[in-house]
Amino acid sequence: MVVVKAVRPAISCSSSGFDGGQLVPLHKVSFVNLTLPASLLSVRLSSRNNAKLSLVQSTKESSTASTNDRAAVFSGENLHQIDTNGKATNIVWHKSSVGKVHWQEVLQQRGCVIWITGLSGSGKSNLACALCQALYSRGKLAYILDGDNVWHGLNRDLSFEAEDRAENIRRIGEVAKLFADAGIICIASVISPYRKDRDACRSLLPEGDFIEVFMNVPLQICEARDPKGLYKLARAGKINGVYPPWLLYLKIGFTGIDDPYEPPLNCELELPQKGNNCASPCEIAEIVISYLEEKGYLQA
Amino acid sequence: MSTMGNSTNIFWQESPVGKLERQKLLNQKGCVVWITGLSGSGKSTLACSLSRELHTRGKLSYILDGDNVRHGLNKDLGFKAEDRTENIRRVGEVAKLFADAGLICIASLISPYRKDRDACRAMLPDAFIEVFMNMPLALCEERDPKGLYKLARAGKIKGFTGIDDPYEPPLNCEKLKPRWQVHFQFKSCNVYRHYYHQLR
Repeated sequence: MVVVKAVRPAISCSSSGFDGGQLVPLHKVSFVNLTLPASLLSVRLSSRNNAKLSLVQSTKESSTASTNDRAAVFSGENLHQIDTNGKATNIVWHKSSVGKVHWQEVLQQRGCVIWITGLSGSGKSNLACALCQALYSRGKLAYILDGDNVWHGLNRDLSFEAEDRAENIRRIGEVAKLFADAGIICIASVISPYRKDRDACRSLLPEGDFIEVFMNVPLQICEARDPKGLYKLARAGKINGVYPPWLLYLKIGFTGIDDPYEPPLNCELELPQKGNNCASPCEIAEIVISYLEEKGYLQA
Repeated sequence: MSTMGNSTNIFWQESPVGKLERQKLLNQKGCVVWITGLSGSGKSTLACSLSRELHTRGKLSYILDGDNVRHGLNKDLGFKAEDRTENIRRVGEVAKLFADAGLICIASLISPYRKDRDACRAMLPDAFIEVFMNMPLALCEERDPKGLYKLARAGKIKGFTGIDDPYEPPLNCEKLKPRWQVHFQFKSCNVYRHYYHQLR
């Protein structure tokens, strides 16, 4: 078992398979440079205790990391453990020579994930489109991962059964992470009803890069809008007194359904803002834009 | 309503900012460069070199490395045939998303089965550039950068491509024939030239 223990501000590394050592951290992050031995079978990043691990893809981010074909560089805070468990063995992490910093300079923005969650009909897709348009008009590159779009491609093999619902969110989270890593502002617009699934996606990204936006629109208003006619179907759609799986997935909060929508407890933005239920998607998008500007995501 | 796959009542969402707008913003066309070949044939190294080359020309790219993706999106997959197929399918779908976003997505995977690579090509008929790292097995094994051939020969890894699992070379692709003395920058320039003439 390989263990990399981290106590801020320094990291120590102990393992029979690695040559580690004490390194002074740069700025807010601590990192360890592991020279990989030829006999290394696999490396896998795992984090506990809310540790954030991220791959340093460009060694320009760190002035003391060495660069050779046998080295992998990891950066993060509160690094806890790297282990060799998992389905895929014999996998070695490859460093890329063009890192995140370069892409940020090219795009003049910082990659992040805007995760829009809420009931069906709460306005997620409208906000996603309005936000995308607003960012484009400012010369920023954004891309929407809409729950519906992803169903036609990446997740077309999944059903509405419980385990597939979690897998749907997991895959969207992983893809959103890749987009953020590429410097793109990735807008994920997904009902994502379970708190633990959303939190699992949050943990994939460095702190601050996962921006959870909760469309807090009451069920009655969602149902009154019913843009896709799904609530009407749901009301009429019981089969033998039981709701079919796909309706459960909608998480429309009907009384008697066991798994209601779990609203976020600590999201970055809750919309629409209090007392302003009539705000248009464009107005709401501007609130998100202000947040992004304030946090520095719209500059390199 | 769409009735594709297991899901009904799924609606395709139209976004006002589309592929053309993103192309205009980035001044490039999105595509997928799919680098295939045996382990140790130089795929990852070419991917990095190509990415760097594109960057110096002001083009935005992103690498989907087979090993890296298996740490995240595909961490639930192993190396059985059906898992390999699913691995390639998912990478192909993600690469398609990146291409739609306007990026040059460089996918670097062994991807040993022709039908899996062809399935990815079918997702992107006009924007798929297949690059075959045609390095002989003997040379790959001699390099053995991750020590995997040694383990495979010792029987410690089963189903290793090239040793006891087949690699099916592409029939129609942009071929590069790396030799030891050829600098990777030259090869990535070849790929860039091909891309530039096909897709500008």
